[in-house]
Amino acid sequence: MYEAQRALASPVRNPRMATVIGRLLGAAFLICFGTGLYSHFLQEPLDGMRFATRPEFLYQVTQGTHIIAGIACFPLLLAKLYIVFPELFSFPPVRGLVHLVERASIALFVGASMVQITIGLLNTYQWYPWPFPFRQVHFALGWILIGLLIIHIGVKLPVIARYWNTAPTEADNDHLVDAVSADRAENAEAVRLWGETRPGGMTGRVLNFIDNTPRTASRLSRRGFLTTVGVATTAVVGLTAGQTFTPLNTVNLFGPRKKGVGPQGVPVNRTSEQAKVAESAMAAGWTLTVAVSGTERAFTRAELLALPQTAVTLPIACVEGWSQMAHWRGVRLRDLADLMNADPSTSFRLISLEERGSFSKTQMGREYVRDPLTLVALELNGETLDLEHGYPARMIAPGRPGVLQTKWLRRIEAIES
Amino acid sequence: MRADANGTGDEAAGVRVGVTGVPGVRGDRGAAGHAAPGSRSTEGVGTGLNSPPAGIAASTSRRMRSIRLVLVGGGVLLLAWGVFEMFDSVRLSRLPGVALWIAAAIVLHDAILSPIVFALGIALRRAGRRVSGTVIAIVQGGILVGSIVSLIAVPTIVAKNFAPPNPTVLPLNYGLNLGIFWLVLAALTVGLSVWAFVRARHPVTVFPDDSGH
Repeated sequence: MYEAQRALASPVRNPRMATVIGRLLGAAFLICFGTGLYSHFLQEPLDGMRFATRPEFLYQVTQGTHIIAGIACFPLLLAKLYIVFPELFSFPPVRGLVHLVERASIALFVGASMVQITIGLLNTYQWYPWPFPFRQVHFALGWILIGLLIIHIGVKLPVIARYWNTAPTEADNDHLVDAVSADRAENAEAVRLWGETRPGGMTGRVLNFIDNTPRTASRLSRRGFLTTVGVATTAVVGLTAGQTFTPLNTVNLFGPRKKGVGPQGVPVNRTSEQAKVAESAMAAGWTLTVAVSGTERAFTRAELLALPQTAVTLPIACVEGWSQMAHWRGVRLRDLADLMNADPSTSFRLISLEERGSFSKTQMGREYVRDPLTLVALELNGETLDLEHGYPARMIAPGRPGVLQTKWLRRIEAIES
Repeated sequence: MRADANGTGDEAAGVRVGVTGVPGVRGDRGAAGHAAPGSRSTEGVGTGLNSPPAGIAASTSRRMRSIRLVLVGGGVLLLAWGVFEMFDSVRLSRLPGVALWIAAAIVLHDAILSPIVFALGIALRRAGRRVSGTVIAIVQGGILVGSIVSLIAVPTIVAKNFAPPNPTVLPLNYGLNLGIFWLVLAALTVGLSVWAFVRARHPVTVFPDDSGH
């Protein structure tokens, strides 16, 4: 263990560096947690929860940030783990119950973090090669990780406080390795534990080989490390964020979505085939039923088109982090509700032609129902709504996740309290 | 939890990166560390890692201790809520899968990824015996940046083979893009290395006059 730590010692592996990278990673975790919670509650609001409908690109920003921060966690987490890696070889491995609990919590923290960002990344392209449900596990792991993060900060607080502002000192510029090797013979405890000389045979030869490798100067080593982490983070974020952040669209090399790619220039999340609605949506007898306080009225598409039409420009923004600005035209939901004499304080339930699927029936709070930008959309980017975008009619509202912008509408009903 | 000035380092707060993970080094610091002139940096690093200097520690230990207790207590509550969520919302038969993935992630990092990075560092420094450290750092950085971007990009290439749910998911030619990225990265790395190499050979002479203004 001594030899392992010695071999792994590096000017980069010091508590100051752990604090510097740890702050960034901690911030990224908190951002992911906050934006994730916001997205969660939008989809599953607690009783009485109300949300902001402005700015209308709010969800595009929060969820885009969620994914961007999550992707930034890859280089940051790897860098953090690189810095503290020699800790793995602590000796003795367990020094008592508290130490055991601490090490176990770190192991869980490390493993769960890697799983969390990996399943999050793969979810952005709807690839699920794991034996558990994504949504529930991602949500539960979010709480677990934020708890472990706060415990970790509490445990390491003295170190964090000490190294929050400290620039590396002259002493830090020396090699940790040299310090250990110089000490070895004079260090009674080390000699007692591992003997006066290093292990012989193959192990010894490997260790000597490592020792004889030239070392990079400390300052250079640290600067190189920080530069590498910075460039890597910029690269992974910069080359994927174009899927939501328009200025980076041209360098969107690895984003799972591309702006403007899809029917009518808008990407699709759930197809009519997946939702099994192709037939019912194209049926000639389709109507949209609006139900308020026991009164029901069925609107054909022609009837909806005969009502006053409103044009809005709103992004469709998905939980998977992509977004696409688009021009929509259709009937204000507020107008429909007024037509049916609905009370302004009623929330609505939106029901899709889709018969299965977790978002085939969703609720829309009154703040969205009354918003002048909320439409039952009939047209997209100047054309009749494509089947893949929800023909004959779909919802589009400001600041809501794509899964709640119900496609292939069948029925809209007031939720009477 | 022990949070007193001495206990912080040992039990709870010790980052103990590198050398200080060795009990002997820490135990001996007072005696050998000060005595041996060659071990200046042991002192510098060792004290930093284990516990703050006695004065600072004493004045802040009470406040520090209560803050830490609140943090750890709050963290445990959040953690417990997360575990409850997990058991509450995920079918019991699926939980071993979650545990397996978490364990596999640890093994993947600690037993596979880290040794590769370590070996790569050794190999590079050996191969670059005759060039300056800056060049090695640049090449190392280039390889790591490329690897991390590949880590993000390669799954898209793989996933694309599994027929994404619709043509607007993964619409790009990710293999080609990754190839282009590596080419650009290689060109930049080589360019920077050459610049650093030349600069090391022919250091820019600064005349005393030039620095006067």
